[in-house]
Amino acid sequence: MSTHSTHVYTGTYTGDAPRVWPAKVNQIPKEVFGDEALFEEELKKIFYGDTWHAVGHAAEIPNVGDFKTFDLGRVPLLIARGKDNQVRVFFNSCTHRGNQLETSVSGNRKEFECPYHRWLFSLDGTLAACPGSKEFAPDFKQEHFGLVEVKTDQYLGLILVTMGKNTPPLKEWLGESALPTLNALLGGDGRLKLLGYQKVRYASNWKGYNDNDGYHAPLLHTGFRLLNWQGGKGFQRMTPNGHVLFEAELKPATGNGFLKDPSLIEFKGSNPERGSVITQLFPMTVMTKHMDVINLRFAIARSHEVTEVHYAYFAHEDDSEELVQHRIRQSSNLLGACGMVSMEDAAIFQRIHIGNQTPGFAEFQKGVTSLTEIPTDVKQNDETGNLPRWEHYRKVMGFKREGEQ
Amino acid sequence: MSQAITAAHNSAIDALHTAYLAALDQGDMAAWAATFALAPDTRYFCTSAENDRRGLPLALMYDDCRGRIDDRVSFVTKVWAGTYQPYRTRHFIQRLSMDAAGTNQYRVTSGFTIMMTPEGGATTVLTSGEYRDLIEIQGDGDKFRAVFRERRAVYDADVLPRYIVFPF
Repeated sequence: MSTHSTHVYTGTYTGDAPRVWPAKVNQIPKEVFGDEALFEEELKKIFYGDTWHAVGHAAEIPNVGDFKTFDLGRVPLLIARGKDNQVRVFFNSCTHRGNQLETSVSGNRKEFECPYHRWLFSLDGTLAACPGSKEFAPDFKQEHFGLVEVKTDQYLGLILVTMGKNTPPLKEWLGESALPTLNALLGGDGRLKLLGYQKVRYASNWKGYNDNDGYHAPLLHTGFRLLNWQGGKGFQRMTPNGHVLFEAELKPATGNGFLKDPSLIEFKGSNPERGSVITQLFPMTVMTKHMDVINLRFAIARSHEVTEVHYAYFAHEDDSEELVQHRIRQSSNLLGACGMVSMEDAAIFQRIHIGNQTPGFAEFQKGVTSLTEIPTDVKQNDETGNLPRWEHYRKVMGFKREGEQ
Repeated sequence: MSQAITAAHNSAIDALHTAYLAALDQGDMAAWAATFALAPDTRYFCTSAENDRRGLPLALMYDDCRGRIDDRVSFVTKVWAGTYQPYRTRHFIQRLSMDAAGTNQYRVTSGFTIMMTPEGGATTVLTSGEYRDLIEIQGDGDKFRAVFRERRAVYDADVLPRYIVFPF
């Protein structure tokens, strides 16, 4: 047995989240991935706080009466398209006694009826009928009991919600520098057509799921190597409030004869200089356009150790039938929960969650040039692009750095 | 139904189902691929009941030609090896219907359940669902076998309990 170990743990591991953050900016305390009490604080300060959360795209509910349900943390949402074509987001809860109003994950309704006491809501949330109301409390007014709306806004059809009181306007929160990349990702104009879903749970803390970096891509993904798939020129850009944007040129893969059906990795997109586009919005929305795959990933932090991801795939409304078919084939097989390239990411989410139950720090190295300054300028394949997001997280959660007053 | 289902064809189809389940329960991807016909338009799909119900074409696995069935074997055995956390499966099926669909071809549906055991862990249900198959009898005389021309696995889970490595 080797006696050369240079790291012997001599501390006392508590498993509790630290209330003081290390001074070195490239260290993340691993306790933050396994702490159940911390998750409750995160729900309050982040998920129910002054942050926008992507919960869907208008193309998922294209017709009047279409709806989908989704959860923000533990809060059930009902997202519906009204007769006026407006998309509204409501708490999925009857305003009478709080019964869950809609149980289906998606569908189409003329109105929403609560089965408990038959309160009936219009698609715009108005309370249209409530049997027995003559005997209701003296102060009851039907017009005061419409469904409760959650503040929502859209960007090129991307539906975001916030439950915070002081959330900045959406465009300001996204930031000017994020918009061109987000536009490219959403097909330029957001006129998308839903192709379908892959939905899966990961046994991982939401921050571990979200902490994927650009550095790992050529190292983890055997598929890239087997296909002789070299990355092209590109950039990684961060915003002060924790968003990360990637764009990279896409050189066609040469394949090396590895695949019997290379049509899987054909690129029919018009602009290879923007072949790979990723937008990661704080806290946990990752969206990718890689080759001809348009993939919006709507994620739910279920607990400190369960993250649920709904991979939604889209075509553009103007696509030819042939391009749609190509997108279906590529979307299903390349970058999803079971895709040739990204199944490996799925495996890492869970393995990093297990490994992070040990004491110590997650150590960032690639691209670190200062131990005291949060990086603002990083290269395409650095892992330091994640540090501004961690810094934003630290501030929102109110953790002080060691030595900070 | 114009064509009688012979006992021999019936047995061959049972043997195909058994070979399929045995291949996956042993993690033998080459044996899995061998249950499919060699014709170029042979297909395997694995999709959610939600996509299926809503007519959404996207799948979890979308192998719309024989070449991609072989490529899926390569994904599991060459691309992902050493990355994923190992798990074993047990498949159980129950044939629900069988109808002749032309010369030596049958449309067969079966219900399935897949149990899953991660290495070092306990057994849980991975998902259940329905196989919708187009099965072909190949060969004649005493020597014939059944193969899948198309297998569509429609799984019930709205949200799968983990990431998936092996086909259903």
